[in-house]
Amino acid sequence: MSRPTASRPARGRLTARLHRLQRQPLLTIGLVMATIMVATGLLAPWLAPFPADAISATHPSAALLPPSSEHWFGTDGIGRDILSRVLYGSRISLAIALFVVTVAGVVGLTVGLVAGYVGGKADALLMRVTDVFLAFPALLLAVALAAVLTPSASHAAVAISVTWWPWYARLARAQAASIRTQGYADAARVIGAGWVRQLARHVLPNAATSVFVQMSLDAAGIILTAATLSYLGLGAQDPSPEWGLMVSQGQGMATTAWWVVTFPGLAILLLAAAFNFIGDGLQTVLDPKRGHR
Amino acid sequence: MSALLSVEGLRIAYGQTPVVHGVDLDVPVGPYGVGLIGESGSGKTTIARTLVRLHRASAGSVTFDGRDVLALRGRDLARYRREVQIVFQDGDGALDPRMPVLAQVVEPLAVHRSVPRSARQERAASLLAEVGLPEEVMTHYRHQLSGGQRQRVLIARALALEPRLLILDEPTSALDVTVQDRVLALVERLREQRGLAYLLISHNLAVVDRLCETSVVLYGGVVMERGPTARVLTSPRHPYTRALRAAVPELGVQRIPLTRVSSGAPERARAASACAYVDRCPLAVARCRTEAPVLRPYDGREVACHRAEEADNLAVDGLATG
Amino acid sequence: MIRIRDLRVEYGDRTVAHVPELDLEPGSVTGVAGESGSGKSQTALAVMGLSRYAGATVSGSITLDGEELLGKSERQWRQIRGRRVAMIMQSPRAALNPTMRLGTVFARTLRLHGVPRREVAARMSAALEEVVLSPAILGRYPHQVSGGQAQRFAIAIVSALRAKVVIADEPTSALDVTVQAEVIEVLRRLRDVHGTALMFISHDLAVIGELADAVIVMRRGQVVESGPTAQVLHDPQAAYTAELLAAVPVIGGRRTT
Repeated sequence: MSRPTASRPARGRLTARLHRLQRQPLLTIGLVMATIMVATGLLAPWLAPFPADAISATHPSAALLPPSSEHWFGTDGIGRDILSRVLYGSRISLAIALFVVTVAGVVGLTVGLVAGYVGGKADALLMRVTDVFLAFPALLLAVALAAVLTPSASHAAVAISVTWWPWYARLARAQAASIRTQGYADAARVIGAGWVRQLARHVLPNAATSVFVQMSLDAAGIILTAATLSYLGLGAQDPSPEWGLMVSQGQGMATTAWWVVTFPGLAILLLAAAFNFIGDGLQTVLDPKRGHR
Repeated sequence: MSALLSVEGLRIAYGQTPVVHGVDLDVPVGPYGVGLIGESGSGKTTIARTLVRLHRASAGSVTFDGRDVLALRGRDLARYRREVQIVFQDGDGALDPRMPVLAQVVEPLAVHRSVPRSARQERAASLLAEVGLPEEVMTHYRHQLSGGQRQRVLIARALALEPRLLILDEPTSALDVTVQDRVLALVERLREQRGLAYLLISHNLAVVDRLCETSVVLYGGVVMERGPTARVLTSPRHPYTRALRAAVPELGVQRIPLTRVSSGAPERARAASACAYVDRCPLAVARCRTEAPVLRPYDGREVACHRAEEADNLAVDGLATG
Repeated sequence: MIRIRDLRVEYGDRTVAHVPELDLEPGSVTGVAGESGSGKSQTALAVMGLSRYAGATVSGSITLDGEELLGKSERQWRQIRGRRVAMIMQSPRAALNPTMRLGTVFARTLRLHGVPRREVAARMSAALEEVVLSPAILGRYPHQVSGGQAQRFAIAIVSALRAKVVIADEPTSALDVTVQAEVIEVLRRLRDVHGTALMFISHDLAVIGELADAVIVMRRGQVVESGPTAQVLHDPQAAYTAELLAAVPVIGGRRTT
């Protein structure tokens, strides 16, 4: 028997997953869309025709120009190039989504897995705390928090994270509680595995899929919530090119200058759709039982 | 013959419901097999789970190599879990669906650091080879394995820590007969090669007969009969063991009629002091309802029955009407 | 009764069961032995007209009293299934509606298959008596009965429907040996009292030996041996049958100790 290597199983798994990926057109489309948006965000300084417009420049003389060869998406109320701002804006929206998903995901998973798997008093205590957070309507809590903090995109992200993690905790708890009674959990106990190993090696991998899927589905909701906060004046502040803020600024003139509200709105929609596709597709790809036919 | 594992007066409850009512059991140092025979509801799996500390006992004692198992904590418990391993009945459930086979056999080695990190994979691979699994299985996940392969992986994982006692909980009841035959042969080989002691839990008398020197017959959480397998299973003395023995289909023997079919009527309320088998026993007398029989020596084994002597007259056809 | 000729069950171009010839006679039990993947359950599904739900195609011929069953529409099958050809499964409890009392299930099943209302009660109590179940069981829910009681209840339904042909797929595999013996006894009565043609599918040759008059042994979709039970068990012709027989553990047989 030849000596097994650690990399082999891993590589086998990766190729199998990539193989499965090919059969998920929606997931592929979602990934392509998300990649393009991340790329345009990163490359905004080079892609944007008027980079300065995304930061502080104003051109009141060129206000509310309709889409043209010079300004593909037109200009806003103070003459800024909307295309440039939308390109830069994807940085903000993606950063907020990433931040919230990471923070809420880590906190929610930890709380939920420990509560569900360990059970008993830990469960009771952690879930009481979670319930307290859940008791407030999420948007209201975010609004309240954002109002207490000075309005900015990063504070909005913090506020959203605070309202977001209890959902992941609930989801993870339900998964962990069912794993607790599985045969492989017993199998881990009888070899003397400690709590940390049981949680990290068996509970997390088996519980995380549904949470990961939920996270990618949520990215859209987070971006929309951030946009809502900005729209309410509690998130990003002018001159930030945050999409939600741009929509709110353009809303008053939607009938006279449709492009001001439409393009950032479309960007929100596309990003939300991309993450939804990814979430749906992940559900299938992460299931180890798929892809062997 | 000194006992490696000694169980005395073990009582176990599920919530408020007692399911095991004072069981005594010894497993000597290997190579040696003890069979724990019982049907569903007999409490046999509950006993197994309690022995590996997955379930709490309500009374009694379990001693392993002089240590009080039920009181073990921390490092002592970890050491016990290294020395006593269990192979679960449900090979499907006992394997983590998201961990490849090799990693699951490496895991016990990693938990106990019994093998240096660099040698663990190699060690696990050789264990898989030892239980007769082909090399390609190492990278497989549980859904890619057959029932027999799953059971072999569980055995390899249990052997990884070189336990002194193996508890086998219905290891072959989910398998086809030819696969079962190969798994039993594997247990036989390991027993000889490793000097293994095991407690084999099964409802299949023939499996116990093949692998175990001693048999313990359990009914309703009480030991009915125990002793050398050759005696207990070849010439059972307890009415329950007899009924069990008579119900086992044997190749080429078409016995008619086989057994009494018991009606679906609810059983009469039974006094706590009654014999556990009294409601199904064809020999039951008034005494059996008021005084639970204790194990007593009879005909080279121990029997818990007031009327074991009369059971000799209980021909198979005595069980037949219904 | 049932005549099977050159039956093939296929998934795409893969044959999962091929039975050249098999007759199920009234008052006789035909055992179908084989391990997982042998095609024994696929054969049962074909006889029940259920293969299409498993995504398989069936060719050849299955006749019931001279009437060809293959090619019947689902509507026609509903007139046959239950009434003329019935099935007993491994875990009948899983097939019972957990929110319905057994009595309701029983009565509805009989009514569905055209038993006149005034006859229902009499048929139910007669059938329960045959399988030695107390009428009290009719008031219980599926989770309140044991596996053996549920299996006997399933046999009572089949008996009350007066099905001529009964396919039993591993009906005792999930049961304890003493309960298994009871179920076998009840199936034997079904055969003797009603002259039912019974197809008894099991991976356990010893169990088949208890009940079957004739047996076919299947492996990887093919019939490797068939004949009267005594002959197959005592003088197996196929190497595989011999291997299966040798694998059945026997009390007082090979011992390690």
